[in-house]
Amino acid sequence: MSDIVEPHDLSQEDFLAEVHSFQFWLEAVEGYLGGTSFGFDPGLSEQAFSDEELNFLTTTLCNYCVAEQAALEASSGMIRFAPSPEAAIFLSTQVVDEGRHLEVFIHRLKTLGVEDPWREIDSRVNRNLVRLRDRLLEYVDQKDWEASVFVQNVILEAMEFTVFQAHAADTDPITCAILTGVVKDERRHMGFGENNLGRKLMHAPHARTRLDQIARELNPLVMSTFNEIIEELGLLEEGEPAISTNYLATIERLGFTP
Amino acid sequence: MADFLSAFSIQSWLESCPQGYLEETEYGHLAGEKEPESILENDDFLEEATRTTVQLVVGERAALAASSGLINCAPDDPSKIFLATQTLDEARHVEIFTQRLYDLGVKKEDLESTLANFANPNLVKFAEVLLEKVDKRDFVAGVVGQNIVLEGMAFSVFEMIHASSKEINPKFAHTLAGTIADERRHVGFGENRIGSLIEANPERKSDIQKMQQEMTHHMLRTFSDSFQENEALVEDVHQNADPDAGPAMYQGVDLAKADSEEMQAVLTNTVLGEFKTRLARIGLEYLPPAA
Repeated sequence: MSDIVEPHDLSQEDFLAEVHSFQFWLEAVEGYLGGTSFGFDPGLSEQAFSDEELNFLTTTLCNYCVAEQAALEASSGMIRFAPSPEAAIFLSTQVVDEGRHLEVFIHRLKTLGVEDPWREIDSRVNRNLVRLRDRLLEYVDQKDWEASVFVQNVILEAMEFTVFQAHAADTDPITCAILTGVVKDERRHMGFGENNLGRKLMHAPHARTRLDQIARELNPLVMSTFNEIIEELGLLEEGEPAISTNYLATIERLGFTP
Repeated sequence: MADFLSAFSIQSWLESCPQGYLEETEYGHLAGEKEPESILENDDFLEEATRTTVQLVVGERAALAASSGLINCAPDDPSKIFLATQTLDEARHVEIFTQRLYDLGVKKEDLESTLANFANPNLVKFAEVLLEKVDKRDFVAGVVGQNIVLEGMAFSVFEMIHASSKEINPKFAHTLAGTIADERRHVGFGENRIGSLIEANPERKSDIQKMQQEMTHHMLRTFSDSFQENEALVEDVHQNADPDAGPAMYQGVDLAKADSEEMQAVLTNTVLGEFKTRLARIGLEYLPPAA
């Protein structure tokens, strides 16, 4: 934009309109996606993998695809019952982010030699992640805004954010570049969830009890997914406490029972 | 199918749209461009510009609801991914046309009441027919309604307004140029993806053609209302036009000189001609609206 906007000078309403706009998204992604193809610099070289490493990375990417497809279907479904035009526009930017994540992970699987990614995904996916996805899409079908935002933009996004960050720190250069871009998107999505729910809960504290119950129901599914991915990626010794702690801290920051 | 859909990937979209023709734009136009004073200082012109822009916001909100709603019932990932890009395109259109309302002086707190006040009821019905199919998770009918009928109509309407704005309102013409480029991609997807699905499900033809017939009925009534409403205004615009301004050609008609009736006729003929061609490409026959 030609005029530099100082966010602190904006009213709360104008600030939200600004950060939820297509224009804001466009300027954000132009910064870190410019020059990339399917999420990474095409000049990066592929590293050699052992059979075991390749097998673990394939399983992990298969799980990422399921999570991203769930996020794509949920965020698109939520547009129809978004509480404001600005929220609908933000969710539209999230839809294309989630579609991009699905596309780059599928593309990564193909570059690793997986010919039919969805057949591979079906055989490798963590069943608890599938249950988490199904619960999320149930809330979306019921047009339950608070529960959908909570499960999608807080629980699922916080889960992805912490796993992707930990994985990016200890993987091959191409997967690392892809994950780094994805993490930047997830930060925006979590910000929306926290902001939207935080403000709602100020005006309707009784909703917190219900969301607490949802968190208690879904956290075991998240932890089970974490455990499997941590094991696959060989992060057991050093990574497990950090991943779980980061996730639980995000949930707690919103005042929910971790 | 997979090969043609690779042209509709998010990677292709990023390269052609945000990193292509939208680069350096601000709400779809060049930074610093303003609405012309001839509109802002004339109450009648301002109201007409507001009324026209309201129809664009209403149409784009329907397109946003439809494209996002179709993602969950798309039969394959490449279609879901294309619809994700279309969802964001439509959201961008909602945003830039809403911004135009603000540029025309509509206050943010009055946005919804302005939309309710000026929205053509026939356009609202047009959208309802489409969204009923989306709500039923009917992917084939939804894509025909959205990417052939609604987008086909929007494409022609935008081209006509673009032709009439190029000389007198470069800001709005630039805004429309980006949306026209988007709509071209959307129509292309509809034609390519749906042809094979219609072929595989020939029993769906009559139901889908009925939807097209109903949507066409509401569209033609919207056109009729819109052109009748601004008959006197068109005269006024012609009388006050800059004598040095060049022609505003659209489908062989100079919009700078045409009366309201001629404008309606050229738009109607263009849109219906497009419908016939595009529907034939996917194996459907155009049905004229019932009298």
